[in-house]
Amino acid sequence: MSVPHEVVFFTGATGLVGGDVLRRMLAADPALRAVVLVRDAGRWEQVSTRLALPAGRVGAVVGDVTRPGLGLSADTRVPLAREITAVVHAAADVVFSHPLAVARAVNVAGVRHVLDVAAGWPRLRRFAHVSTAFVAGRRVGRILEGEERGDAGWVNAYEQSKHEAEWLVRASGRDWVIFRPSTIVCDSAAGGVTQYNAVHLGLRLLHDSLAPMLPAAATSAIDVVPRDYVAAAIAVLALRQDLAGRTLQLCAGSGALPVDELLDVTWRAWSRRPEWRRRGIPRPVLTDIATYHRFELAVEETGDSKLRQAVRALSYFAPQLALPKAFDTRAADAALGGPAPAVRTYWARMLEHLVSVGWCEAVKGVAA
Amino acid sequence: MTGRPGITAIAYALPACSRSVRELGAAGQLQTDPEVLENFGFGRVHIAVAESPYELAYRAAARLLEEQAVDAASIDLVIYSGPPGTLSLTPAAQPWNGAALSSTARFQYPGTLLQFELGLLNASVLGIDQLACSTLFGALRVARSLCVTEGIERVLCVNAEFFPAAAGREAVFNCTSDAACAVLVERVALRNCIAASVHVTKGYYWDGDALKNEIVASYFPTSKHVIERVIAAAGWNAADVDWIIPHNVSLRSWELLLSLLALPNTRLWTDNIARYGHSLAGDNFINLRDALDGGAVRPGQKLILFSYGYGAHWTALAVEA
Repeated sequence: MSVPHEVVFFTGATGLVGGDVLRRMLAADPALRAVVLVRDAGRWEQVSTRLALPAGRVGAVVGDVTRPGLGLSADTRVPLAREITAVVHAAADVVFSHPLAVARAVNVAGVRHVLDVAAGWPRLRRFAHVSTAFVAGRRVGRILEGEERGDAGWVNAYEQSKHEAEWLVRASGRDWVIFRPSTIVCDSAAGGVTQYNAVHLGLRLLHDSLAPMLPAAATSAIDVVPRDYVAAAIAVLALRQDLAGRTLQLCAGSGALPVDELLDVTWRAWSRRPEWRRRGIPRPVLTDIATYHRFELAVEETGDSKLRQAVRALSYFAPQLALPKAFDTRAADAALGGPAPAVRTYWARMLEHLVSVGWCEAVKGVAA
Repeated sequence: MTGRPGITAIAYALPACSRSVRELGAAGQLQTDPEVLENFGFGRVHIAVAESPYELAYRAAARLLEEQAVDAASIDLVIYSGPPGTLSLTPAAQPWNGAALSSTARFQYPGTLLQFELGLLNASVLGIDQLACSTLFGALRVARSLCVTEGIERVLCVNAEFFPAAAGREAVFNCTSDAACAVLVERVALRNCIAASVHVTKGYYWDGDALKNEIVASYFPTSKHVIERVIAAAGWNAADVDWIIPHNVSLRSWELLLSLLALPNTRLWTDNIARYGHSLAGDNFINLRDALDGGAVRPGQKLILFSYGYGAHWTALAVEA
């Protein structure tokens, strides 16, 4: 008796990792087919072309995770119900500064809508949910993969909404697996940045002498991961039956870089450029969160627009630095046969990339 | 005789006119809401109207000589700093005759005039410029070095700073005063010995108006670095420091800096911020004089004097009172 072919329903395929996960899964299993949920068919055309996806194996349906029934017509739903065997849900609102209602509309209601629709898919065997390691919120210390607590609160609405989404997945009664990637920063080989986020914004502000202090202890570790590691991990693990009901943290873990060392590496890399070195920009002072909040207040009071804008942008994630965490990755490492690349192995390449491309407009927008 | 150079006398002079922060706000001489500046610790500033910068400098220097009964002929060197040339001789309320620069009138220097009027017969004169609020630190640096290398016994450092009477009275969220300050540095001092000094210049920030944000941001880490360096150079630990004698900038910024240094706010001598504001280069030494006179600073205590000069200089002195 042959194993039935997998037909995977993807959300977030135009996002940072979703498309690459899809590409890798298609490459690994020639029989696998996929259906992607997209808001904009034209954009999907561009993405699928860039990803060089094999013709005839990926179909697209236009819809939206924020709408009940995913905004799909009955005509669209019927064939999905006949075919879909797994879901990889990667769609998310990853903007840290969004208010909670906005973040929930995508990250919580989105999961609920996918689960609701999937409830009518009799062949569905797996619901793979892409979450974030920072559902840990304000907790400190060792963050275990199986822990689900939210009692310490969160730094931003993104973290809280992703935490709430995990609970929906766990309560769904489905066969599920949850992936918790750390903050994705670049590709490990060349250091190229696909999507700019808070880390890159923070680096830009440091580079431009607009971030005088950081609320962190010198030994606090910065946990980030390369995009290709996360995509490869999800592609390999999403459908593995032995991972049912498991939560896997795709984090640097023991390969995270202490803040002090990260700043050393960063200043050393930037100092190789004479035009930056001659500016004599000081390394930021590492301080406690109370002092950092006083600084934020002072900047607000002085009303200096550029610095105020920079400090406000930092406020959505900088406090996380004051909440030192060590992410446990034992389950993920065991499933993958090894850990994520250590941050120090690619960080300098990413810095070089950022400077060589002149940063991106999105990051410049805040820092300029 | 062995010993270390130190500060053996300080005197200062303020203009007769003073204004409250609210009065300055009403007169359009502030950029920031007066209430915000009051929250930052400012209350009043002194404004030169009839006085020229030189007149204030003369009064401060003459007072120092008189109070300490210093023989004018014993001064070996005058280091003068303040507005250049004839601008220094013009009362603050009068427009400056810029045409003086096109004639030999440009060589009418206030330092030379001071040497003559105070009868400092044996003193040569140096001028120091371009250090903004860190100017007197620069003067003391030169004085201390010349005491050591040339064996000079007594150096009179004099500074007068001012803005024209109708000018704005705010610099980077700080209310500014006009004032003059004179500091006597002696080769062998029994009190206020200079244990160490650190001076950092970052030329990238030379255009302060264009790089205001970057300067505000770089101020804190560089200030922390400079203060920690001077503490280490003096052979002290941070916990040894009894008083920070500040430049009179916003209390909020000082509280932040003290937090970064892990020093309690109680070690900051703040009495003059509200009543004088920021007198540019004279602050730290005016404050030291008043802290000594008031008994807050006692002999043997360890002091850190720190200032930032717009343009851009960070400087600190470690002094044993």
